[in-house]
Amino acid sequence: MKRTGVFICHCGINIAGTVDVKKVAEELAKHPGVVHSEDYVYMCSDPGQNLIEQAIKEKKLDGVVVACCSPNLHETTFRNASKRAGLNSFRCEIANIREQCSWVHKDKLKATQKATKIARSIVEKVRQNDSLDALSVPVTRRALVVGGGIAGIQASLDLANSGFEVILVEKNPSIGGHMIQLSETFPTLDCSQCILTPKMVEVSKHPMIKLMTYSEVQDVSGYVGNFKVKILKKPTYVDPAKCTLCDECTKVCPIVVPNEFDLGLTGRRAIYIPSPQAIPASYTLDDKNCPDPFTTIACGKCADVCKPKAIDYDQKPQIIEEEVGAIIVATGFDLYDKEHMAEYGLGKYADVLDGLQFERLCSASGPTNGQILRPSDHKEPKEVVFIQCSGSRDPENHCAYCSKICCMYTAKHAMLYKHHVHDGQAYIFYIDIRSGGKGYEEFVQRAVEEDGVVYLRGKVSKVFEDKGKIIVWGVDTLTGKSIEIAADMVVLAQAMRPSVGAQELAKKLKLALDKDGFLAEAHPKLRPVESVTSGMFLAGAAQAPKDIPEAVAQASGAAAKAITILSQERLFHSPTVAKVFNNLCTGCGMCVAVCPYDALTLKDGKVEVNEVLCEGCGTCTATCLRSAIQVKNITQQQVAEMINACLGG
Amino acid sequence: MAKIEDLKEEAKKLLREGKVKYIIGYGAGTNGWPAAPLFIKKPEDVDKLVWDPTCVHNLVRFLVDEKRRKSRQKQPDKRPVGIIVKGCDSRAIVVLLQEKFIDRNDVYILGVSCEKTGVVDDAKMSKKLAGKKAKTVQVDAQDRFVITTEDGKVEVPAEELLAARCLECKANFPVIYDVLSGEKTKRPLDKPFGSLEKMESLSAGERWSFWREQLDKCIRCYACRSACPMCYCDECVVDSINLAVTADTTADEKARRTRWIQRSAESSENLVYHLVRAIHLAGRCIDCGECERACPLDIPLRLLNKKLEKEAKELFGYEVGFDAALPALVSCFRDEDPQDFIR
Amino acid sequence: MAEDYEPRIVAFLCKWCSSAGSDLAGVSRMEYPPNVVPIQVMCSGSVSPLYVFSAFNKGADGVLVSGCHPGDCHYIKGNYYARRRLNLVKKLLEYVGLEPQRFRMSWVSAAEGTKYTQVIKDFVKDLKPLGPQTKLRRNP
Repeated sequence: MKRTGVFICHCGINIAGTVDVKKVAEELAKHPGVVHSEDYVYMCSDPGQNLIEQAIKEKKLDGVVVACCSPNLHETTFRNASKRAGLNSFRCEIANIREQCSWVHKDKLKATQKATKIARSIVEKVRQNDSLDALSVPVTRRALVVGGGIAGIQASLDLANSGFEVILVEKNPSIGGHMIQLSETFPTLDCSQCILTPKMVEVSKHPMIKLMTYSEVQDVSGYVGNFKVKILKKPTYVDPAKCTLCDECTKVCPIVVPNEFDLGLTGRRAIYIPSPQAIPASYTLDDKNCPDPFTTIACGKCADVCKPKAIDYDQKPQIIEEEVGAIIVATGFDLYDKEHMAEYGLGKYADVLDGLQFERLCSASGPTNGQILRPSDHKEPKEVVFIQCSGSRDPENHCAYCSKICCMYTAKHAMLYKHHVHDGQAYIFYIDIRSGGKGYEEFVQRAVEEDGVVYLRGKVSKVFEDKGKIIVWGVDTLTGKSIEIAADMVVLAQAMRPSVGAQELAKKLKLALDKDGFLAEAHPKLRPVESVTSGMFLAGAAQAPKDIPEAVAQASGAAAKAITILSQERLFHSPTVAKVFNNLCTGCGMCVAVCPYDALTLKDGKVEVNEVLCEGCGTCTATCLRSAIQVKNITQQQVAEMINACLGG
Repeated sequence: MAKIEDLKEEAKKLLREGKVKYIIGYGAGTNGWPAAPLFIKKPEDVDKLVWDPTCVHNLVRFLVDEKRRKSRQKQPDKRPVGIIVKGCDSRAIVVLLQEKFIDRNDVYILGVSCEKTGVVDDAKMSKKLAGKKAKTVQVDAQDRFVITTEDGKVEVPAEELLAARCLECKANFPVIYDVLSGEKTKRPLDKPFGSLEKMESLSAGERWSFWREQLDKCIRCYACRSACPMCYCDECVVDSINLAVTADTTADEKARRTRWIQRSAESSENLVYHLVRAIHLAGRCIDCGECERACPLDIPLRLLNKKLEKEAKELFGYEVGFDAALPALVSCFRDEDPQDFIR
Repeated sequence: MAEDYEPRIVAFLCKWCSSAGSDLAGVSRMEYPPNVVPIQVMCSGSVSPLYVFSAFNKGADGVLVSGCHPGDCHYIKGNYYARRRLNLVKKLLEYVGLEPQRFRMSWVSAAEGTKYTQVIKDFVKDLKPLGPQTKLRRNP
C-alpha cells in the first residue's frame, strides 16, 4: 500500500496568486495512495521543510511530492529534507507548478486544474520510484597525459605537484611539441626554448612523472576512475642512460632524410636527436629509414663508433599496460598541409614557406643559424610577403574557422624579419587583425610603427615564380588598387589543424570530435576543458586553435578537473541508470547501438549495463521494441501513468 | 520455373549425413493448393518436397518455433535446421541474423529462385477457379501459370494470379543461401511501392474511413503476430495477457506490467495495436505477406507495413533484409535525416 | 463545435533544453494557454512511440515532443534518434488518417522561452478548429 505525502507550496503569491493551492491540496488528498496533503506558504523555508520531515515520520510516508517551483531550484533541498527524516531521497519528487503553470497562465480556474494534473502525474511517478543509493566506484589515483607539448607539460606538472603520479605519453622522441620549434614568442619576444626548457627539464626530473616518449596510446578501456590503457613504446635502439650526446654516430650514418624538426628545410640522419635541447637527452634510431635491423643487417656503423655502447639493435617494441583514473588529451596541432595550398605555391616553390618553417629560419639553432635566407639560393630576401588566413576563414575551399594566432605570429615574423634584415621590406596581406590578448594590440602597432611593416587589406589571388622572384598578385581593398609584389620570399600563415593522428586517437578513446576535427568539449561556454566522456579532459590546441597562454591556462584547468576525480578515493554516480529485464531481452542489440556512452554490451545473448558509464538518458528504452530496458525511476510504466494523470484520468 | 531436384539431392545428403536436424520445405497441400509446410526427418521423405507457385508460406516463422523449442531443452541438438526459402523469405533470415535471434550456423539455407514469376494470391486463385478444385499449379516455358483442374488445364498469364507483393518484388531469388536452385534472372519490378499509390492518393478523411472500416473488423486474434517471423517477442507490449515470466518474476512485477491498451476489440484499441505493430516492424518487415494471408478478416495489413517500408527508403535511405551487418533502422541516423516536420 | 472546446495537449519536454526553455518562459512571465500539461523526460531520445499512441489513446487532442537542437543534445545524440523515430510515427499517424496537426515536434533550447511560448500558442490555435480527437481515443 502506498503512502504518499503531497505538499503544495504557495511560494508567497508566486503560485498562490494564480493557483488555488488549497483546492489543489484537497484534490490531491483524494488521490489513491495519498495519505497526507497540505499547503504551506514557503515550502523551501525551514518550517516548510520541517513539515515534510514531520509528516514522513508521523505518517510513515514512503513517497513525497512537493508541488512548487522548478526542480532545478529546490529538488536537492527537499530530497535532503526527506533523507534527514529517514526517507530515501529518490522517493521525493518535484511537481513544477510555478514556472510551467502559475507564472504563465492568467485564468485561475484553468491554472488550478492544470496544477492538479501536474501534481497528480508526479504522485503517480513517485508511487513507482525505487529507493536508490548513489553508485560508488573506487578510483585509481593516477593520471595519463597524452601529448608532450606545452599543454601536456603544464598539465603533467600541475598534477605531479599535487601529489599524483602522471604518465606522460609523447609520440615523438622528445617532448616540447611545436613550442620548442619556435624562435621567439609574442608579445614579449621571449626566446621560446629559454622559457620552455626549464619546464621540460622539470618534467624529466620529476619523481611523480613517468615520461614515455616515442610512445603511442594503443587502446583505452574502462571508465572514469578506472581506465586501463595500453601504450606502445617504440624502440629507439639507444639506451638513454648511456648516450652521452657525443654526436659521433651521425657523422658515420649514410642515410639522410628530411628533418621533421626543421619541417623539411634540412636533412637528418637515420640516427638523430631532434634538437639539442631534446628531453629525454638521448639519440633515436629511426628504424623506418635505417635498413631494418631485424631482417637485414643494419650497416652497423653507428654502433661501431659509439664509445659508451649505447646502441642496441636488439631493442623491441613493448606494449605497456597502465591503470589510471583520469586522462588528459593534449595532442596539439599541425599546420594545414601543403597539398591543400598549392594555389599559393606551398610545396611547389622552395621560397614559399609556412609559418613554422619561417620560425626555424629565425631560430638561432635553425637551418640557417638564425639568418633569414632563401632556401633556393641562400640569398637574403629583401622583399618578403606574408599572407594571413591561408586556409582559414574560407568555408568554400578550406577551413571555415579563424586560426586565432596567425595575426599575432605574422606580425612577429615581420618584426623578426626586419630585425634580421634591416633594409628588407615586409608586406602583410590580411583580412582583419585579431589581437585581443594582453599586450597584443600594442605589439601589432609596434610592427607598423617601429618596423615599418606594410599591412595590405586584401586577399592574394595568385602566387607564381618568374625569373627567380615569387610574384604575388593581391588587392588592397582600402585603396581599391590591385597589387603586384615581386617578392623574394612568401610566408603563409597556414591554418591550424588538429595534429596528425589525433583523429585515430580520438576513435580509440571514443572522444567526440567537432565539425572541424578538433576534440569536442562538453559545453562550449561552461565546460571547455571536459570532453563528453567522463574522466577525459582536453587541453591545448587539440581542442581549438589557441596561443600559448591560453594553452597553459587550459592545461592547468584540465589538471584541476582531473584532480576532482583523483583526489577522491571513491566516485559517486547518479543511480538513475538503465536496467535490463532479462526475461524480455532477446539480445537484438538495438539498444547497444544507440547508447551515446557505450554503456551497454551484449553478453551471452542478453544486454548488460555498465552503471558507471550510463547517464540515464533513456534513448535505449525508446529503441527497445520489447520494453526490456528501463531507466530506474523514469520507467515507461511510470510515464504511462503520468500520461493518464495529465489527461485528467 | 526452377526444378528443385538439386535441392532434393542436397536435402537427402544432409539428412543421410546427419548434418541437419530436419528440413522445412513445401509439400503437397491437403486440398490441391496451396502447398503446405513439410517437416522432413528421413532422407526417403525428401521426395515429398514440391516447388510450385502455390508455395506461399514464409517458412522462416518455423525457425522462431525451433529456437523456442531449443531454449526449453536441457541438452538441445545444436545441429542446424535445413530450410527452403524464396527470395522474400531469405530476407527474413537476414533480419533474424541482423538481430542475432539466430546464428548463421543455426540454418542451412536451401534457396530457390522464383525466376520470372512468383507465388499466387489466394483470392485471385479462388476467383479464377470459381469453385473448381485445382490439382496442380505449374509454370510453363512462357512463364504462364498452368492450373490443372478436374476439367483439364487452364493457362493464365502470371500477372493475373500473382500475389500483390510479387508485383513489387525486391528479391526474386534468395539474397542469402547455402545452395541455390533456379536462375538468378532479373525480373523487372512492376513498380516499387505500387500497392501504396491508391492509398496515398486519397485524402486524410478517406484514408481514415478506409482504415476505420478495416480495423473495426479486427477481432484481435493475433494471427498476424503469430504468422510473422519478426514478431518473435516472448511478450508483446500491446498485449497485456501474454506476460513473459521466469521463476523469479515477482508478483509486483507482474502487477506493474504496463497495459498500454485494453484487450477489447474496440476501434481505438485495435488501431493502437496495429500502429504499434507497424512501428515495431519499421525497418524489419520484408513484406512476405503472411500477416495479411493469415488474417481471418482479410484486413490489408501489408498496406500498413509497406508504408513505413517506403518511408524508411525515401526518408532514410534504408533497405531491409539485404545486409545482416547493418544497424537497425531506429538504431542509426544520418546528419541529413529530414527535419522539415520539426518546428 | 462547442465554443468552449479547449484542446488537451500532452507535451514531452526534454529536461536539459525544452523543459528549461519552458522554465525560462515562466521566469520571463510570458503567457500562453493552459491547454498543455508537461511531462519532463530526460531526453527527447527517450520518447517511445508508445507514449505518443498512449497519449492519443487516453484522450489527448494534441501531442508535442520537444528536445534540444541537433548537435546540442545533452546526451550527445538522443535527439537524432528521436528525429528519425518520431518522423516515422508522424508519417504513420497521417497515413491512417489522423489529422497531421495533432502530433508535433519542436526543437526548443534552454534559451528559447519565447519560442516555447509561440510553439504552444500555435499548437492550441491549430488544434481548436479540429475539435476533440476521437480516432484513437478509448471510449470510457
